[in-house]
Amino acid sequence: MTDLPRTQHIAASGLIAAIGISIAYISFTQEPADAFIFPRLIASVFAVLAVWTFVKAVLGRTKVGNGISGVALRRMLPGLGVAIVYIYWAAKALGFYTATGAAFFVLLSLYDPAPHSDIKSWLKRILITAGFMAVMYGLFAQLLNVFTPREIFF
Amino acid sequence: MKHLIAGAALAMAAMTGSAFADGHADYPDRPVMMMVSYGAGGATDFQARIVTMTAGNEDALGMPIAIVNRPGAGGRVGWNWFASEAEADGYTLGAYNIPHFIAQSIEGGVSYSADSFEPIANWGADPAVFVVGADSAFNSMEDVVAYAKENPGGLTFSGAGLFVGHHIAALQLEKAAGVKLAYIPNNAGGAGAMRAVIAGDVLGGVNNLSDAFRAQQAGNVKILGVFDLERNAEFLPDVPTMQEQGFDIDNASVNFRGVMVPKGTPQGIIDKLAETVPAMFENQRVQSRMAAGGSPMAIMTRDEVLEMWAARQKTLEELLAGL
Amino acid sequence: MEFLFYLGDVFTPINFGLLLLGTVGGLILGATPGLSPTMAVALLIPFTFKLEPQQGLILLGAAYTSTVAGGAVSAILLKIPGAPANIATTLDGHTMATKGEGAKALQLSFLASAVGGLFGVFLLIFLTPVLAGWALAFGPSHLFWLAILGVTVIGTLDSSSVVKGLLSGCIGLWLATIGFDDIMGAQRFIFHPSVSGGINVIPALIGLFAIPQVITMFTKGRSSEDAEVISVERHPIRLAFIEVFRRKTALAIGTLTGSIIGLIPGVGGQIAGLVAYDQSKKFSRESEKFGTGHSEGVIAAESANNAMVGPSLVPLLTLSIPGSPTAAVLLGGLLIHGIFPGPDLFMNYPQVAWTFINSMLIGQILMCVLGLYIAGLAASVARVPHAVMAATVLGLAVFGSYSVQNSMGDVYVMATLGIAMYFLERFGFSAAPLVLGLILGPIAEANFIQGSMIANATVGTGAYFFTGWLNWLLILIVLASVSYSVWMEITARRYTTKDDAVAKEEALS
Repeated sequence: MTDLPRTQHIAASGLIAAIGISIAYISFTQEPADAFIFPRLIASVFAVLAVWTFVKAVLGRTKVGNGISGVALRRMLPGLGVAIVYIYWAAKALGFYTATGAAFFVLLSLYDPAPHSDIKSWLKRILITAGFMAVMYGLFAQLLNVFTPREIFF
Repeated sequence: MKHLIAGAALAMAAMTGSAFADGHADYPDRPVMMMVSYGAGGATDFQARIVTMTAGNEDALGMPIAIVNRPGAGGRVGWNWFASEAEADGYTLGAYNIPHFIAQSIEGGVSYSADSFEPIANWGADPAVFVVGADSAFNSMEDVVAYAKENPGGLTFSGAGLFVGHHIAALQLEKAAGVKLAYIPNNAGGAGAMRAVIAGDVLGGVNNLSDAFRAQQAGNVKILGVFDLERNAEFLPDVPTMQEQGFDIDNASVNFRGVMVPKGTPQGIIDKLAETVPAMFENQRVQSRMAAGGSPMAIMTRDEVLEMWAARQKTLEELLAGL
Repeated sequence: MEFLFYLGDVFTPINFGLLLLGTVGGLILGATPGLSPTMAVALLIPFTFKLEPQQGLILLGAAYTSTVAGGAVSAILLKIPGAPANIATTLDGHTMATKGEGAKALQLSFLASAVGGLFGVFLLIFLTPVLAGWALAFGPSHLFWLAILGVTVIGTLDSSSVVKGLLSGCIGLWLATIGFDDIMGAQRFIFHPSVSGGINVIPALIGLFAIPQVITMFTKGRSSEDAEVISVERHPIRLAFIEVFRRKTALAIGTLTGSIIGLIPGVGGQIAGLVAYDQSKKFSRESEKFGTGHSEGVIAAESANNAMVGPSLVPLLTLSIPGSPTAAVLLGGLLIHGIFPGPDLFMNYPQVAWTFINSMLIGQILMCVLGLYIAGLAASVARVPHAVMAATVLGLAVFGSYSVQNSMGDVYVMATLGIAMYFLERFGFSAAPLVLGLILGPIAEANFIQGSMIANATVGTGAYFFTGWLNWLLILIVLASVSYSVWMEITARRYTTKDDAVAKEEALS
C-alpha cells in the first residue's frame, strides 16, 4: 500500500467528519427543540465516531478500505458521466423511455468489448437495447400502469 | 421563408386555440393518477381504491385512475407535494381529508392551504368515535370524564396524529368537558392507534367509525360516543353522540374524504371532472363495496364541498386559536 | 386439522391456476429491484375486484409468499436486495455467487425459505390464538428496546470494522430523520425539495445496493476478459438438501427468530433477516466464516424472512389490525368483499379463511420447486456480459425507484445515495448497516416519543421503560449483544491486520 489510499482516507473521513459536525450543529440550533431530541442524540454519536475515524485516518491506522486506483477512476468516469446526465437531466427532460434507451445504448457502446469497427456488433447493441426497452415498457407501462414522464416521445 | 414561419406559427396558434375552445373534449386520453397522502391499506387508501374502481367505464372518465401513495407526517408529505410539485394538467388528482389538511395549514409549517387546491367531489364522511378496550371499566363518556377529573392529564388516549380529525375531536372533548387529557398521537395512523387501545397501552382512543365498527364486531373494543351531530343509523344506531351525553361538540372532526386537483388546473377539466366524478361515486358497485367494507358514504358536489371547506376553515381557526 | 378439510379447494383448476400465476408473478416482481412485497400485493388488488373473495386471496397470498423469496434472486446474483427483507441475504449469498456458487446459494435460499415459510404458516394454523396475545404484548417501550437491539446489531454486521459499521448505521439513522417528523410534523434537515417528503426506504435501498454494483462493473472497463458478471458452477439439488439440513443451528435460529419478529406489528419483515443473520453468526461455531460466502448466512437470512410471512398475518386475522404494510393491503383485499377479519372469521367464512391459509402453504412448496428451477437457470443469467448488466441494472433502478410513488425526487435520492455509497464502500463502509439504521430510526424515535408521552401522563419515564419482564428481557438481550460485540472486537483485534482486512474486502467486492 502506497500513500495514495492514506491521503484518500484522510480526505474521505474528513468530509464525513465535516458533515457529522454540521449536522450536530444544525440539530442543536434548530427549533422546535422537541422535534430535535432524537436527531441531537444521533448527530452527537455520528460526530464523535466521524472525528474518531478521521483521527485514525490521519494517524494512518485505517484498517479497511483500499481507496480508488487511478485505473478504476479512469474506466468508471465515462459510465458515471452518462449515468449522471441520464438520471439528473435526461430522464425528466427527454422522457423516461427515450432517455433510458439512449443511455442504455451509449453504455453498451462504451463498455461492450465487441469491436467498434464491425457493423455486426452495432447491430447486436441495437437489438439488445430494443429488447430491453420492450421489456421495460411491457413491465412498467402495460403491466404496472406506472406513468413515467414522457416528454418528447412516449 | 418569413411567411412560412409566420404561417406555421398561425397554424399552431389556431390548433392550440381550438383545443382550448372545445373545452378539453378528449380529456382524459390517458390513465389518471390519484395521490393518497396515507399508506397503502389505510382507510383513505382503501376507500380511494374502491370509489375509483369504475373510472375506466365509458359513462365515467373512460380511463382508469391509478392510486399512488405518498404517506408521511399525518398527510403533510403528500399534500405538500400536491401543492408545490404536482402538475396541474388534470392527470394528477389528489385525495383530501378534511379537517386534516385545513388544521395543518392553520397550525403552519406546510406549504399548502385550502386555497392551494380545487375540490372536485366528496365521497365519504367518517365520524370520529371514542373507543375503549372490550374489558375496560369505562362504559360511557361520563365514566371517562370522571376519571379524567380525578387524574388531570392522566387519561391517556390514542389517535392517528397531530392536527388530524382525531386530534380535533380530542381538543373538542377537552374543551367541552373542561378537563386535561393526555392525547398520544400514533405514528402508524389509525391502525396503530387502534392497536394501542386493544393492547391496553392507552386507556382509550379516538378512531374512525369504520375501523372502530370492525374492531367492535371482532369483540375487541367498546364504542362510547360519536363525534357527530347525529347518530350513525347505518352502522352504529345504538351509540349516542357526544351532545346526547352532555358535551357540546359539533361535527368539526368528521373526516370528509374526496377528490381534488391542484390550483391552476384548466377550468374545462375541473368542470368535466366535477360533472362525472360524483356520478362515478353513485355507481351501484361502488356503493355496495363501500357498504361491505363498513365505510359510510356522503357524496357531495363541487359547490357543496367548496361551502364545506369554507365552513371548516372558520370553525377550525376558532378552535385552534385557543392553543 | 380443519385446514386439511379445505385443502382440496386449492387444487380446483382455476384456484391452482391463480396460485401458479401468483407464485410466478411474485417471483418475478420480487426479483425486480424496487418492487417490494407491499407494492406487488397492492398492484394485484385491482385484479382481485373481478375475482371471488377466495380466489382473490389465493392470488394475494401466493404473491406475498413468493415476492419475499424472489427478492433473494437479485440479492444473490447481483447483490441488489429486492426488498429490505433480503438485505442479509446479500452478505453471504452474493459472496458465494462471486465464488461461482451462485446456483448453490439460490438452491439453499429457496430450500431454507420453504422450511421457514412452512413453519411460519403452521404456526399461523395451530397457534393463532396464543400468538395473538404475543402480538399485543409489545407496547411502545418494548418496541423501543427492540429497535435498540437492532441498532446494536449494526456494529457487528460489518465485521471488518466496528467503528465504521456504527458510523454507517449513524448515517442511516440520520438520513431517516430527514423530512417531516412523524409525530410533531416539524420539518428537519430539508436541504433540497427532493427530500421534503423524507427518504423513502425502497429507493434508498435500490440506490445503496444497485448503483455501487453498476459503478463497480464500469471499473472493469472495456476489456474482453472478465466480461461475464460471475461464473456459476452447477450444483446438484440433492447436495443442497443435505447442506440445508446439516446446518441445523442456522436453520432453527433463522426460522424461530423470523417467526417471533414477524409477529411484532410494525417491525416485522424488514429486520427479521438481519437479526436472524446476526444471531446465527453469534451462535455458530464457524462465526468467522460469516461474510465470506458461508452457507449458514444464506440459510439463516432466508429461512427467517419467509418464516415471518405466516405470523405477520396473526394480528390481522385475529384482531383485525394489520401488523405490516403488506397485511394492511391484504386487509383491503378482504374488506372489499365484505369480509371482516376477526376471531370469528374462521367461523363465518371458513372456506375463504382456510383456503387463503392453505394457498400460502401450497404456495411455499410451489415457490420452492419453481425457485429450484430458477436456480438452474442462474448460469444463463450470469452469462450476461457486464456492460449489458450494468446498463440493465441502471435502467431498472431508475424505473423501480420512480414507480414507488411516481416521484422524480426519489430517483435523485436513489442516485445520490448510490454514488455516495460507492465511494463510502471504497473506504470500508458498508450499505447493510446504513439501511438498517434507515429502517430502525423511525421505529426507535416514534416509540420513544409515544412511550415518554404515555409515561409522563402515567407512571413516569423510568418506570415505564424499565419495569415489566418483557422490558427487562429485551434490555438483557441488548446488553448481551453489546458485550458480545465488544468481546469479539477485543479478541479479534490481535490478528486483524490491514492485509487481512484488505483480502476480505477484495473477496467481497
